[in-house]
Amino acid sequence: MNRLNNLPTLRINPSEKLTLKYKGRTFQGVSGDTVATALFANGVRVFARSLKYHRPRGLYSLDGECSNTCMEVDGLPNVRTENTLLKDGVTVKEQNVVGSADRDMMGFMDKLDWMMPAGFYYKTLHKPAWVWPLAMKQVRKTAGLGAISPDFRIKGRYDEIYPKADVCVIGGGAAGMSAALAAAESGRRVILLEARPWLGGCFDYRSAPYEDGRPLYERARELATQVRETPNIRVFTQAPVIGVYNNNLITAFQTGGPEDSFTERYIQIRAAGLVVAAGCIERPLLFDNNERPGVMQVGCAHRLARTYGLLPGTQAVFSVGHDLGLEAAIDLFDLGLKISCVADIREDGQNPELLLGLKERKIAFLRGWVATDVEGGKSIKKAHLSTVDGTISKSFECDVLIASAGLTPVTGPVTVAQGKTAYDHHTGYFLVTETPKGMHVAGRMTGLNHCRSIEASGRLAGLQAVADCGLDRAADIDAAEKTLAMLPGPERGAKLVTAPVKGRKTFICFDEDTTIKNIKQAIEMGFDVPELIKRFTSAGTGPGQGGIPGHNLPLYVAKYEALDTKPPKPTTVRAPLTPTLIAAYAGANHDMHKRTPAHHIQKAAGGVFRRIGVWRRARYFSQDFTCREEILNVRNNVGMLDASTLGKFRVHGPDALKALQRVYVSDIAKLKEGRVKYSAMCNDDGCVIDDGVIVKQGENDYYLTTSTARAGATAEWFRYHTRYEGWNFAVVNLTDAMGVVNISGPNARKVLEKVVDADISNEAFPFSGYREFTVAGAVPVRAMRLGFVGELSYELHVGASYMPTLWKIIEEAGKEFGIQPFGVEAQNVLRMEKCHIILGQESEQRTNLLDVGLGFLWDRKKTDAKTVGAAALKQTEGDTGRLTLVGFQMEDSARAPRDGSIIVDNRVRGYVCTARRSFSLNEAVGMALVDSQLSDIGTRLEIFEDECNGQRLYCKVVPKPFYDPEGKRMKM
Amino acid sequence: MSLTLTCPICGKRNGYEFRYGGEDKGPRPAEEGLSPRSWCEYVHMNKCVAGVQKEWWFHRDGCGTWFTTHRNTLTNLEVEEPEATS
Amino acid sequence: MIGKNTPLWGKKTRLKSSYDAVIIGGGLHGLATAYYLAKEHGMTDVAVIEKRYIGFGGAGRNTAIVRANQRTQQNVPLYKEALDLWPVLTKELNFNLMFNNCGNLNLMHSEAAMNAARMNVATAQFHGVESHLLDAKQIKEMVPALNISEDITYPIHGAMYHPPGGIVRHDAVVWGLAKGAAKLGVEIHQQTEATAINTEGGKITGIETSRGKIHTPRVLVSAGGYSAGIIYHMLGIKLPISVLTIQAMVTQPLKPILDHVVSSGAYHAYANQTLKGEIATGAHMDPWPNYTTLTTAYYIKHQAQALSEFLPCLRGVKFMRIWGGLADMTPDMAPIMDGNDPIDGFYMDCGWGYFGFKSCSAVGKHMAAYMAGGNCPDILKPFNLRRYENHRLMGETAALVNYTPDN
Repeated sequence: MNRLNNLPTLRINPSEKLTLKYKGRTFQGVSGDTVATALFANGVRVFARSLKYHRPRGLYSLDGECSNTCMEVDGLPNVRTENTLLKDGVTVKEQNVVGSADRDMMGFMDKLDWMMPAGFYYKTLHKPAWVWPLAMKQVRKTAGLGAISPDFRIKGRYDEIYPKADVCVIGGGAAGMSAALAAAESGRRVILLEARPWLGGCFDYRSAPYEDGRPLYERARELATQVRETPNIRVFTQAPVIGVYNNNLITAFQTGGPEDSFTERYIQIRAAGLVVAAGCIERPLLFDNNERPGVMQVGCAHRLARTYGLLPGTQAVFSVGHDLGLEAAIDLFDLGLKISCVADIREDGQNPELLLGLKERKIAFLRGWVATDVEGGKSIKKAHLSTVDGTISKSFECDVLIASAGLTPVTGPVTVAQGKTAYDHHTGYFLVTETPKGMHVAGRMTGLNHCRSIEASGRLAGLQAVADCGLDRAADIDAAEKTLAMLPGPERGAKLVTAPVKGRKTFICFDEDTTIKNIKQAIEMGFDVPELIKRFTSAGTGPGQGGIPGHNLPLYVAKYEALDTKPPKPTTVRAPLTPTLIAAYAGANHDMHKRTPAHHIQKAAGGVFRRIGVWRRARYFSQDFTCREEILNVRNNVGMLDASTLGKFRVHGPDALKALQRVYVSDIAKLKEGRVKYSAMCNDDGCVIDDGVIVKQGENDYYLTTSTARAGATAEWFRYHTRYEGWNFAVVNLTDAMGVVNISGPNARKVLEKVVDADISNEAFPFSGYREFTVAGAVPVRAMRLGFVGELSYELHVGASYMPTLWKIIEEAGKEFGIQPFGVEAQNVLRMEKCHIILGQESEQRTNLLDVGLGFLWDRKKTDAKTVGAAALKQTEGDTGRLTLVGFQMEDSARAPRDGSIIVDNRVRGYVCTARRSFSLNEAVGMALVDSQLSDIGTRLEIFEDECNGQRLYCKVVPKPFYDPEGKRMKM
Repeated sequence: MSLTLTCPICGKRNGYEFRYGGEDKGPRPAEEGLSPRSWCEYVHMNKCVAGVQKEWWFHRDGCGTWFTTHRNTLTNLEVEEPEATS
Repeated sequence: MIGKNTPLWGKKTRLKSSYDAVIIGGGLHGLATAYYLAKEHGMTDVAVIEKRYIGFGGAGRNTAIVRANQRTQQNVPLYKEALDLWPVLTKELNFNLMFNNCGNLNLMHSEAAMNAARMNVATAQFHGVESHLLDAKQIKEMVPALNISEDITYPIHGAMYHPPGGIVRHDAVVWGLAKGAAKLGVEIHQQTEATAINTEGGKITGIETSRGKIHTPRVLVSAGGYSAGIIYHMLGIKLPISVLTIQAMVTQPLKPILDHVVSSGAYHAYANQTLKGEIATGAHMDPWPNYTTLTTAYYIKHQAQALSEFLPCLRGVKFMRIWGGLADMTPDMAPIMDGNDPIDGFYMDCGWGYFGFKSCSAVGKHMAAYMAGGNCPDILKPFNLRRYENHRLMGETAALVNYTPDN
C-alpha cells in the first residue's frame, strides 16, 4: 500500500524499514508504526475474532479501547497492536480462532446469537445436573482471548521508580502542556505523563487552523518544544496513567525505547498538585453491525492518514455527530479519500466554515442522518443510512464507514480518585463536577473544544496546582480565569443514543459481544441499574473495560427506562486505567530478607537454609532431615548454633522497670545483676506472645531477648502498652547490631575455657548466670548460661561485626571436642525432649500462659503494674475444657505421629504440636495441646493422623520433660 | 486510596509507614475487680464508626512514636479539625 | 429453551407497614435466610431491606471460592453443609450457580506450615471431608504453571489439596436466591435504607426506613461489612469487629491455564481462573478500618510481585480491573451468629470477614430456623457473641491476637 510519505504530521520514518512475521510471511513496516498500522499497510483488515460470536474485527480506534486488534506478539497474549510500537522482527499471531482471523471455523457462532440472550448461562446448562460439568469444560475452552503456556517467561528488564513532583500533569495535549508550562513558571518540579510516544494530543495530527492561522500541528510542536526546553518539567512519554489515588498518588508505567535500560517500568508519583487533562475519546455510534471491519472512528481514520500515512480506504461514508468528523472528511478528501457522503446526526450547530469546506469539495452533506447498518462480512460493501427518526433511508457503496456519535471525556483518572461526574445536557458529556483535594481538570474533558480555550483552561489548572504547593498565585489565577471566561465555552453535543434499529446486531460492547438487545433483556429481567446490567450482560468487563460501552450504556438504560427523574449514571471505572502487565507492576521485585553475620560460614559448612520471618536461617546441616548426627553430637559432645536472629534490646531510662513490669508477667523488680531471668509477655487475652530472657545491667537499665518472630514488634509493643502513661524510657533495638552464638553440650565449658580470659567454672559462672568477658583477648562478649536444649550451654552475644571471628575461634577451639554446627530443626528436637516450648508451635490463639504450663512465671501480686494479660489470666484460672499442653509417649516407640495430627475420641479433643522419635531416649515422644479433661498423667490418647485409613495411634500422657527431668545436665 | 498520616514528629507521611493501633478507648482499666465484660469491652469491642474517629497509630517505619489522630472512615482521609462524633 | 424476560425477583412492590420478619441487608446471608424462612418455615411475610441493590456488597465483590477445609470442628461441618448445598440449590432455584468443582490447593512454604496444615487436613478427614497434603512435585503435576524452584522468596514445600472445593458464580447465587425467595412471597426492597431499629422493653418492635416505618417482632442484621456499624449506631451494641477493605482483581481473559484454585498464605494471594478465562486474584487487606471500597497502588503491585514468583508465566498477562470490598474481621477469624441477646427478636449474622460467601447457604438455613423458632440450632451455638468475654476464642486462626485488626 502506498503511504502518504510527505505529510508534515507523520510520526513514522518511512525510510527506516522494520519487519514482522505474520501467518508465516514476512511483512514490512516502518519505524514509528504500531504493529497494527504496519499490518494495515500490508492489507490486513481482519485482526481478530470476537469472544462469543467470532465476528471478524478490524481497526476501530487507535487507542486500544477494545479488543479488536488484540493479538499475540512474540508469545505475549492480548497485546493491543493498534497502540503498541512495532519492534523489528516480531512474530504476530491471531487469537481465539480456529483457522485464522480471516477464515475462522467458529464463525458460525454469529448465527447462534438467538440462543444466547442476556444471562444465557444462568438459565441453561444445569438441567439435568450432569450436563453442567461437561458444558463447563466447553465454556472454558471457548472463553478467553489469548493463550499463554505454563512455561512462558516474559523477556526484558522491568524496573520501578518513585519520582517526587510538586505538580503532576496527566495528558500531554495542548491543555496538559499549557498546564505544565504554567506550573513550571514558578520553578517547581513538574512531571508530565503522556500515553502516546509524543506530546501533542488532539492538535498533533490536525491541519485545521490555530488562532493565528497556523495549522494546529505546528502549534502542538511549538508547545512540545517549549516543554522539552523547560528544565524543571520532566516528561514521560509512552507512559499511560494506570491509577490515581487520593492524596495525589499517581501510578503509571512506561515502555522503554531502544536506548532505555528497561523494557517497561512502574512509576509512582506523589504530587502536591495534580492536573488531569486526559482529553476525550469518541463515543461509539450504535447501529447494526457497527463493529464490522471497515467501520472506524473519526480519529482513527484521520490519524491513520495524518500520523501513519495510510488512507483508511478508498471510498468512504461518514456518519458523525461532531465537527471533528466534518474536519476529518475535508482533510481526508484533500489527501485523496473519495467520500460518498457525510451524514451528521445534528440538524444544526455545525461550524459554518466546515460546511463551506464540504460544499467547496462537493461532498454530499446529510443533516439529521445516521448510519443504520453496513453490508459485508470481513469488509464492508455498502452503508445504509436513514434520517435520525428512521423514516427515510438511503444506501451508499463504500469500503469504509467512518462513524462516531461524538466525544466523551476520559474521566477515569478523576473518578478512580473519588472525583464525581454528572451528566450534562448541554455537552451530552459526563462532566467532572467534583475533584478530590489538589486535583484540577482542564482541556477537552471539561467540554471545551476551541483551541484557545483548551490552552487557557490548561494554564489555569497549572496555576491552581502550583497554588496547592503552598505558593500564592492568586493574581495569576484570577487573570487566567478572566482569560478563559472571555473564550468560547463548552459546545453543544449530539445526544442521539442509538440509530433507529432493533439492535440484534448493534454492539454496545465489542469485547463481550453485548448487543443493545441484550441490554433490553436484562432490564426486563429486573436489572435496572447500569452496574447490575454490566454484571449480568458482561458489557464493559472485557480487555477494553468501559472504553466502548462506558458512555453508551448508562445513556441507553436511562432512555429505555424513560425515567426523567433518574439522571444517567455510568458504571464505575476501575484501575488499572490501561491494562498493565503483571511484570510491569512487579517492577524490580527484589527478594528482601536478612542474613545473619554467620550466614556465609554456615553456608560453607553445608547449611540448608529456610526462610523464617524476615531471616534466612540454617535449618539442617546435612540431607538427613531427622538430624540424627546433629542431635547426638549436642547430647554427647558439643554443638554450636547461630542464634543471631533472636530479638535483642536495651531498655533503659528512669521508668524502664515500670515498662518491663507492664509487659512481662514476672516481677522484674526481683531480678539481680549478674543473673538471667526467663520470662514471658502475654497479650490482653493472656495468650503468650513472646518469651525470652532479661538481664539487669544497672538501675533501670536492662538487656533482653525476644523470639525471632517478635523482634520487629517489640519496641512497638512496649510503647503501645505504656502509651497513656508518659513514662520516660527508651527501647533500643540491637537485633541487627548483635550476633549470638550458642554453644551447647557436655563439652561446652571445655571449649569455652580455652578461649576466654575469665573463670567460667560452674561455681564462678553458674546456670542462669550472666557474665561479660573477652574471648581470645580481643572480642568482648556478653555470656549467659541457659539451657534451651537441655545441656550445659553458653549463649554468647557479640557485636555483629565480631560474629564471624568469634564463630571461627569457637569452631577452632572445639575441634578436639568434636564441635559441629547444628541447625534449627536439631534445636527443635532437642528442646522438645526437654519440653521447652516454642511459641506458635506449642501455643496458639486459644492458649494462655497457664494452658501452656508457664503459670509459674506469673507474679499475681503486682496488680498495680496493670500487667498485660493478667486480668484475663485471673478470669480464666480454674476454667475447665481449655486446651492444655501435655507431654506424651507413644505406645509404639518405633514411630512418632506426624506434627499436626489430631487427638480424638468421638470428636476432636486436641492436636499434636511436636513429636519425634527421640534418638536420645529411644522412645517416640511429643507434646500436644489437649482438652484439659484429658491432661492427667496416664491418660490414654487416641491420635488421628492424616491418611490413616481408620488406623489410630495411641499414646499416654507422661510427665514433662522427657529428657533429664531433674535438669542436672544444663546445670553441670 | 492512598492513606497519608501526620506523625507529630515526622510530618505527613505515606500511610504504609504506620501501624494502626485501634480506636481510642482511654487508659488501661485497673486490674483488680475488672469484670469479664468490662475487660472484653476494653480489649475487643469496637464502635466501628462510619465517620470520624479518634484512633491510635504507630510510626513503625519512622520515628517509633504512638500518637492519636482523627480519620474519617468513610473517606479514609485524616481530618484536621474533627467534628464531634464518636 | 429460553424463558420470557420476566423480572427475576418479582415486580417492585410497595413497602408494607408490618412484616413477620425484616432482614436488613440484601446480600447472600440475608437472601438465603429469607429464602429458607419462606421455604422451610412457611414464614413468607418477610421483607429484605437493601440500601443499594442486591449483591452490592461482599456478595458481588468476593472471588467466589468455596471450600470446607477450615481449622476447627465448629467450622468444618457448617462449611461442608454449605458446600453440599450448591448442586441442591442450583436445582431448587432452577438457576445455574455454575459450581466449578475444581478443588483448592493451599500452598505451604515451610515445614512448619505443612505441619500446621496437617491439623486442617486431619480435621477434615475426621469429618469425612476430602483433603490431603501433597508435596511440591505432586502439585507441579496438577498445576504446571507453578514455580517450585528454590530461588523464590517463599519456596513451595507442598500444599493442602481439597478436591470438593472450587468456585461458584457469586452473582448467580445472589440472583438465584432472590428469585427463589421472591417466588415464595418474600419482598425484596432495593434502594431502601434502614435508618433505625426500634425496641421497647428489651424487645424488637420494628424498624425505620427511608421509605417509612415497619412493625415487626424480629429483625436480622446481615449487612456484611456494614453490620457492626449499624448495630452500634442503632442499638448501641459494640462488637469485636474491625471493618477492613479487601481487594481483588482480574487479568485479561485467557484460554484455560489454571485448573484449580491456588492460594498462598505466605504470599497473601490466591488465584483461580474464572469461567470467562480471567485470572481472579486477591486476598490483601489494608490493616486499618475503613468503609471505603477503594483500591490501593500498594496492593496491585504487591499482587503482581507475588504472582511473578509462584506463577511466573502470568508476568506476561495484564491486569484489567481491581476492586475492593469490606471484610468485617473478628479477632478469632470466625463469625458472630447470635439472637435474642440482649434484645428479644434481634438477630445478627456478621463478622464473616472474607469468608461469608462460602457459608451463606448453610447459614441461611440455620439462621432461618433460629429466627422461626427462637432457639439457637446446635451448630450455631459456638458462634455466640459471649465467647469473647468468656475467653473462648474459636481457634479458626492459630495466629496470636495483637491489638490491630489483622492480628
